Amino acid sequence: MDSNSIANASVPAFKESKEFVKKKRGNNRVAKLKQCKMDARREQWLSQAKKKGSKGESNGIGGCVSLSNGICGRENQLVGSREVRSRGDEKEGGLGVHAADSESHVDNSLVGGVSGNQEPRKSRSQSSSSNSSSSSSTSTSSSSWCCSRSASEDEEEEEDGDDDDGCVDDWEAVADALTADDKQHHPNSEPLVEMDPALVDAAPSELVNKEAELGASEMEHCGQVKGRVENNRAWRLDDAFRPQCLPTLSKQYSFPLNSERYCGHGAVTWACNGIISQPSPCPICCEDLDPTDYSFLPCLCGFRLCLFCYKRILEADGRCPGCRKQYDPQNVEMDANGGPPQYRLARSCSMSTRF
Amino acid sequence: MSISGGGGGGGGVGRGMSWCSTTSVSSSGKRIQKEMSEFGADPPEDCSAGPKGDNLYQWIAAIIGPSGSPYEGGIFFLDITFPSDYPFQPPKVMFKTRIYHCNVDLEGNISLDILKDSWRPTLTISKVLVAIQSMFTEPDPYNPAVPNVAHSYLEDRAKHDEIASEWTMRFAR
Repeated sequence: MDSNSIANASVPAFKESKEFVKKKRGNNRVAKLKQCKMDARREQWLSQAKKKGSKGESNGIGGCVSLSNGICGRENQLVGSREVRSRGDEKEGGLGVHAADSESHVDNSLVGGVSGNQEPRKSRSQSSSSNSSSSSSTSTSSSSWCCSRSASEDEEEEEDGDDDDGCVDDWEAVADALTADDKQHHPNSEPLVEMDPALVDAAPSELVNKEAELGASEMEHCGQVKGRVENNRAWRLDDAFRPQCLPTLSKQYSFPLNSERYCGHGAVTWACNGIISQPSPCPICCEDLDPTDYSFLPCLCGFRLCLFCYKRILEADGRCPGCRKQYDPQNVEMDANGGPPQYRLARSCSMSTRF
Repeated sequence: MSISGGGGGGGGVGRGMSWCSTTSVSSSGKRIQKEMSEFGADPPEDCSAGPKGDNLYQWIAAIIGPSGSPYEGGIFFLDITFPSDYPFQPPKVMFKTRIYHCNVDLEGNISLDILKDSWRPTLTISKVLVAIQSMFTEPDPYNPAVPNVAHSYLEDRAKHDEIASEWTMRFAR
């Protein structure tokens, strides 16, 4: 409910950032050309990946794009540059933003004219990026919004790889300026606005529409993206397939201490991984205890053992190896202090989204 | 007909048992392996133990007779056999060296509570050897394996110690 207002509040900041980019662009014409080249190259590999045509791939790409729009300021700035292009340079920009399947070919050839001498490298980067997009799609789960951070990092790396023709400096300068600008106007909220599906629907700003169109150019059509977004909204909070990254991100946006919160979440996950990756062995059979065994405390003396050994002992004399007392089924605790931490984490995540 | 039926049943049981034993062997093997590495890292004083050969379930151990006891100066060898369901069943420990002790019979069987009823899966072979070591200095004549020796220990301690020392010189050197 309050996410609407926050979205509206955040939109001006982005507009200003766009204008900032525009100014910057005006100052630096050459850099803008390179920018366009890179964008076009990106379109190229996206369309090629699309041509490969599996549904999972398109999912993966959509995931990459939408998430990277949300998380990394670098992508955000990419959006801004697209905006600029679509205004200033009608021909290229229009193609770049509204490119559907067929148009992206035209886009390719056009860009080929612009940057003719870089064809070989481009094709190489195309193939590699399409590979990476397919791999990222396999690593992501079923929806476009729930893709993991690694997907976006993949893409970032991809673009870094593309950047080796001298665009890097300008690109990063713009990114720095943008993030600085963002922080100036909107110190607390990182550019995670677009991650909230509700916001994409709710905020009727030009920027968000552009976002959607950008998504369409990467995907298929605008309507499809909208449908996808609504699909995402249809996720129930207790849905088993609901991605875990969703609740934290929306939470991040609606509260000021988002970065800290995100770090905290990561730390908890890391700690859980630490526990799970270094399990203590069962003192009887020396096999590692699994989470079920961790939550299983059959005796008041606190002697922990795996369920296999417990059953084995019950079949024999049924005495606790720790205190030699007879096991009492009344005292068996299934959720002791050392209960499975990852389940608790999941529960807390789903709780945190109810605002 | 009845013979063939019995044979088939026997074969089925045999297969089932072998399957059972291999699974339990693999689980006890891990435990024994861990005990072996722990024993190697931190062996009890005056003790040594290890597998006889390739077989992880057949160990040989040696305990040096503690000074101040009639067994001083002797080295006593023991055979340790781990059952296939090892941590749930106690290991079989037998003296290979003859010893004059009220808790060790002529065959080398040891009457020690933790090797029988008081066995716990949390006990290890290291703890068992320490218990046997303490048995040298403190025999338990009230749970004897050889009642005569226990009687001698209770009635005429000096004579008992003399015979024990003599046996140590004779058999354990």
